[in-house]
Amino acid sequence: MKKKIKKYFKVWWLLSRNSFMSMLSNRFGSVLFLLGKLIRFFAYIFFIVALLKGTNSLAGYNLNQIIFFYLTFNLIDVTSQFLFREVYRFRVQIVEGTFDLVLSKPINALFRSLLGGADILDFITIPFLMIALFYVSRELNPEFFSILLYILLIINSLVISAAFHIFVLSLGIITLEVDHTVLIYRDLSNLGKFPIDIYKEPLKGFLTFIIPVGTMITFPAKALMGLVSVKTVLISFLIGGLFMFLSIKFWNYALTKYSSASS
Amino acid sequence: MKKYLQVLKITFQQELAYRLNFIMWRVRNVMQVFLMFFLWDSVFSDSSRQFFGYNRSKMLTYIFGILIIKAIVFSSRTIELSGIISDGTLAQYLLKPINFFKYWFTADIASKILNLSFSFVETILLFLIFKPEIYFQSNPIYLLLFFISLLIAVLLFFAIVFLINMVSFWTPEAGWALPFLFIVIIGDFLSGSVFPLDIFSKSYQNIFYSLPFPYLVFFPLQIYLGKLSISVVINGMFISLGWLIILWFSMKYVWQRGLKKFSSEGI
Repeated sequence: MKKKIKKYFKVWWLLSRNSFMSMLSNRFGSVLFLLGKLIRFFAYIFFIVALLKGTNSLAGYNLNQIIFFYLTFNLIDVTSQFLFREVYRFRVQIVEGTFDLVLSKPINALFRSLLGGADILDFITIPFLMIALFYVSRELNPEFFSILLYILLIINSLVISAAFHIFVLSLGIITLEVDHTVLIYRDLSNLGKFPIDIYKEPLKGFLTFIIPVGTMITFPAKALMGLVSVKTVLISFLIGGLFMFLSIKFWNYALTKYSSASS
Repeated sequence: MKKYLQVLKITFQQELAYRLNFIMWRVRNVMQVFLMFFLWDSVFSDSSRQFFGYNRSKMLTYIFGILIIKAIVFSSRTIELSGIISDGTLAQYLLKPINFFKYWFTADIASKILNLSFSFVETILLFLIFKPEIYFQSNPIYLLLFFISLLIAVLLFFAIVFLINMVSFWTPEAGWALPFLFIVIIGDFLSGSVFPLDIFSKSYQNIFYSLPFPYLVFFPLQIYLGKLSISVVINGMFISLGWLIILWFSMKYVWQRGLKKFSSEGI
């Protein structure tokens, strides 16, 4: 097992290095892309500050708390994009039939399609996000146990995000449509920029259990603020496990539907 | 005129050839409205309160208005120009007996008609689901000014997109990046299509108003909501027309310079 993990880490490292080299070949575009992401991030911060200056609170949360929700959203969003960027390039492989080459290699096809090309542009922003999270969370005076829960729930969020990306890949094999599906997932997760308490039922329930944006983003942030019960935490992990299980089942099913194009 | 009608027809067919893509694109537009609708709905949970000069009905009208105005102003086929220059297929267009600017403007109109029809249906559906309080402008002068500002917005957006996409003449490999930065990021925020710009302080607003972006979405919606006096509207119209003239001439100038730089191999 240890040998296998070592092998897969080595493969991941090589693929990520290749992805980095490819990014370096287009430095001008990459810098503008990164700049765009930063502008979007700060524009929302400006918006939140301006909004909360006028309203004092949003759904019962103060400015610091709302910024913390937003930063947590960004941490999960950016880390997911850093890890699962290869999903955005998957459609070409299916349409052109080059997915055959992935299937014929002695490496797990799901691993290659999901994690085979980390995005360094997203990685650059993660340390800054963590510093910002640390700074803002200090104002919230969290207890040690709350911090621990926050970290565990963030890991759970990444598991749910991975499951979503596996669903997208599987749908891509069946329908040949990836680009819009992944962007719809991004739009759905964007609903977690603010705490899901702003939504009304049945949308709130939908965002908690069916498309668990709330479980992914709102619950970890609430855990740090000491605002979630043990039951909610357990349900979150259950949702994470269930989503991952179902997504792998769906992937295995989708593979049986794959008809190699152009070969 | 006849050949541009054909362009209009062909663009309709092209857009509808990839129906799933188009429907997914519309779904995404609705999703974006969802976040802002619920956010402001939460802010105005007490409907008697006013924030940033908006009452509940005016703010929710602004959010719904974004869906329609974006369909009119931001729907565009000209965003494909960068790719056409980069891969050299521009040569094929240059050989055709057709005015290149009119061709793309006609294609844009087809895209706008299609997106606008869908956005109307979406707005009605959302209206039936959420039953928001909507503000209806009844003053004919404001309505006339609103339609004029929309026309200027359409022309402004065409000039901005055309101009920015022409960067591909000089950097074909990164031709996608500048449009992404200016149209998707800066344009989206500074046009007021994510949130109304008047939640910021007056000094920031003065900076925004001196740029062309607010005249794409924010300014027309402010006119519709009757939040600006006639003199402020006229002043804004002059600034936007000034930008339109500058961008239009720049577009023509850069196009001539770009053509001298353009080369296409193996097409």
